[in-house]
Amino acid sequence: MRFELSEDQTLLKDATTSFFASESPIETSREVSEADGEGFSRGQWKKLAELGYLGLIAAESAGGAGLGAIELSVVLQQAGRVCFPGPLLDVVLATRALTAAGGQDETITQIAAGEKIVVLAQSDRVWPDDIGGATFADGHVKGSKVFVPFAASADALLVTTDAGLVLAEGPFACEPMPTVDEAQRFARVEFDNAATLIGDNTLVEGVWELAHVGAAALALGVCEAAGEATIRYSTERETFGKPIGVYQVLQHRMADMVLRTESSRAIVFRAAWSLDNGAADRGLVAVSAKQYAVESANEITLASVQIHGGNGFTWEYNVHRWLKLAMTLDHHYGARNDLLERALEQVEAQ
Amino acid sequence: MDLSFTAEHEKFRTEVRAWIADNLKQTWSDALRDPNNGEHELIEVRRAWQRARYKAGYLGMSFPKEWGGRGATGVEEAILAEELARADAPEHVNFLGIGLCAPALIHHGSEEQRRRFIPPMLAGDEIWCQGFSEPGAGSDLASLRTKAELDGDSFILNGQKCWTTFGPWADWVFVLARTDPNDRYGGISFILCDLKSEGIDMRPLKQITGESEFGEVFFENVRVPKENLVGEVGEGWKIAMTVLGYERGAGTMSTAAHLGNGLRNLVKTAKELGLDDVGTRRKLGKLVVDWQTLYSNGLRTLANMADGKAPGPESSIEKLFWSEFDQRLRETALELLGAGGQLSRFYSGARPDVDWPRDFLWSRAETIFSGSSEIQRNIIAKRVLGLPQA
Ligand SMILES: Cc1cc2nc3c(=O)[nH]c(=O)nc-3n(C[C@H](O)[C@H](O)[C@H](O)COP(=O)(O)OP(=O)(O)OC[C@H]3O[C@@H](n4cnc5c(N)ncnc54)[C@H](O)[C@@H]3O)c2cc1C
Repeated sequence: MRFELSEDQTLLKDATTSFFASESPIETSREVSEADGEGFSRGQWKKLAELGYLGLIAAESAGGAGLGAIELSVVLQQAGRVCFPGPLLDVVLATRALTAAGGQDETITQIAAGEKIVVLAQSDRVWPDDIGGATFADGHVKGSKVFVPFAASADALLVTTDAGLVLAEGPFACEPMPTVDEAQRFARVEFDNAATLIGDNTLVEGVWELAHVGAAALALGVCEAAGEATIRYSTERETFGKPIGVYQVLQHRMADMVLRTESSRAIVFRAAWSLDNGAADRGLVAVSAKQYAVESANEITLASVQIHGGNGFTWEYNVHRWLKLAMTLDHHYGARNDLLERALEQVEAQ
Repeated sequence: MDLSFTAEHEKFRTEVRAWIADNLKQTWSDALRDPNNGEHELIEVRRAWQRARYKAGYLGMSFPKEWGGRGATGVEEAILAEELARADAPEHVNFLGIGLCAPALIHHGSEEQRRRFIPPMLAGDEIWCQGFSEPGAGSDLASLRTKAELDGDSFILNGQKCWTTFGPWADWVFVLARTDPNDRYGGISFILCDLKSEGIDMRPLKQITGESEFGEVFFENVRVPKENLVGEVGEGWKIAMTVLGYERGAGTMSTAAHLGNGLRNLVKTAKELGLDDVGTRRKLGKLVVDWQTLYSNGLRTLANMADGKAPGPESSIEKLFWSEFDQRLRETALELLGAGGQLSRFYSGARPDVDWPRDFLWSRAETIFSGSSEIQRNIIAKRVLGLPQA
């Protein structure tokens, strides 16, 4: 048994850490995502493609690196640390759905090369009763989807419809759906597009476990980076002639950050390993990893706002960027309340 | 990464499982509920179970062969502990002796001490208790004042220990005693004391559960032969710290299995009682998530151990996690089950699977003993984060 990453995985981790730290430290990520526009940098996207991140889990025959959930988690953990802007996880999930559908190597190759952006459009609700929904007939998709990530930049969308999963060709009619997190570019899409049926909707369910683990890895990165920033601040900021880090109430909140970060690391990588190895309980572990790591990212970033005091409430400090990413993750890639229900169902079925 | 158990480990698990199925006649929950079982009888249930395990080679398995073990790895110990917990087997009666005192003897004791004390400890013939805490020295253990003075061939012990688990049933106690009043850490020694010695007064101490699983021990001019000193005079603190490392690091996997039983019982009870509103289901789902995280922490530690990595700050993290998780589990249980959840297990209409009020009360001890939650957070703040100290 071994928890540590393999040699190859460690090399990937080191390369990825230095890539994100130099290419897009959080300050750069902020500039990109807070500017008007696409919400990510086309230049950086090309680099992601060149370094193989977009095709990370796609088969080598489809221009990918053929790696698994552990490697994906290694990469997304670093992306989460710097709040890397853009639909990185989303296109990786699209390659997984396309791979499962079969016969889609050409599109996958284009995604991996950074030539095409394809993401999933699967959400039908804003509120429980506010049903959009899409239909497919005669090579055409109609209807609407909400919370489609970076839809305005997408060349094609994978849309769940009454007939099954279809690949719809852009351009798309998008209405932006601004949320608490300015780094996101969600949109409501009204479809009237040419599309091809590629399989049934269970293809999306098959992607779900990977989505949970990927989001959990992003959250782990948030936990780490927000925790480290807070601890650094607590040794620099002085009140009453002492660094605030000497105060035990704050020390204990920061100790809780360690507790949550290290526990998140344990379950995120266990979940990734469980997916790659087809473990029988991988569904339960993936759901739990997503829920625990994202809940932790939210707790840690909220504590971080508090420990930064007035500075923590300013736009200037980075704390709110991590907080808002944590808030986004809470309700996407598996929403909190659904995951809690799913976790319980798995134990009831045991 | 490799979190899988080898084929050999799986074979061992199958063996253990079969042995438990053949030998465990009554689960611990059933033993607790048996109206014929008072506290004394329960100790004997545990002793009998310990003997059965010892005979079968399922006790102290990682000890060297000459000390009754089979030189097994930590992974096998963890599998055994997990299977025992899953089967709801009784805890053995000498976990303080085997868990703490034996490692102290193996690493710091003399050959004669190992030969004299380890076999009867394993066989359950001599029960041990841990005499560290005193009325004025718990978290701040180094301020302990129980004195040991050398007088010829023996030490003379004077002082008081308290909250001594198993004290009322124990035959021996391992004591931290002060041998130099002027040296806070270097003035402490680790001494083995026969509780039948003259001058010892052991009094049961009633707990909030109504049981007296612990006691207080008074030492008045108790004479202990010099050979019962472990290590050198003044090495007691060092030895205690290694030993407490064992206590804090031990067995998250089995704790996870044990708490998994409690959680499954709660899920089953909620279902049977028709508690299926969305709020309840989310609370239960959250416990499931935390339980899986607890298990993941244990698995990581196990994998690191198998990989030959020295334990780091995980032990504080794991202790915090499991003790606070158990409290959330029991709090949720009592919240969901209402007045019925507070019924004693001896009431005829109580639900048969658990003793909710006792489990709730017991969980409150877990954030106090073996380094309280506050002390664990201090340790993380200081040793992991290196935060400035006041
Ligand atoms: C069920 C049970 C079984 C036990 N079994 C044994 C046994 O077998 N042998 C044995 O030797 N002992 C045993 N103990 C004793 C146990 O080790 C002590 O109770 C524990 O170390 C706490 O010490 P204390 O009770 O003196 O509390 P104190 O140290 O007085 O602490 C009181 C409160 O103050 C907090 N506190 C203390 N110092 C700090 C600090 N620096 N910063 C922040 N908060 C602080 C504590 O967390 C706690 O909440 C047992 C206790 C229990 C409950």
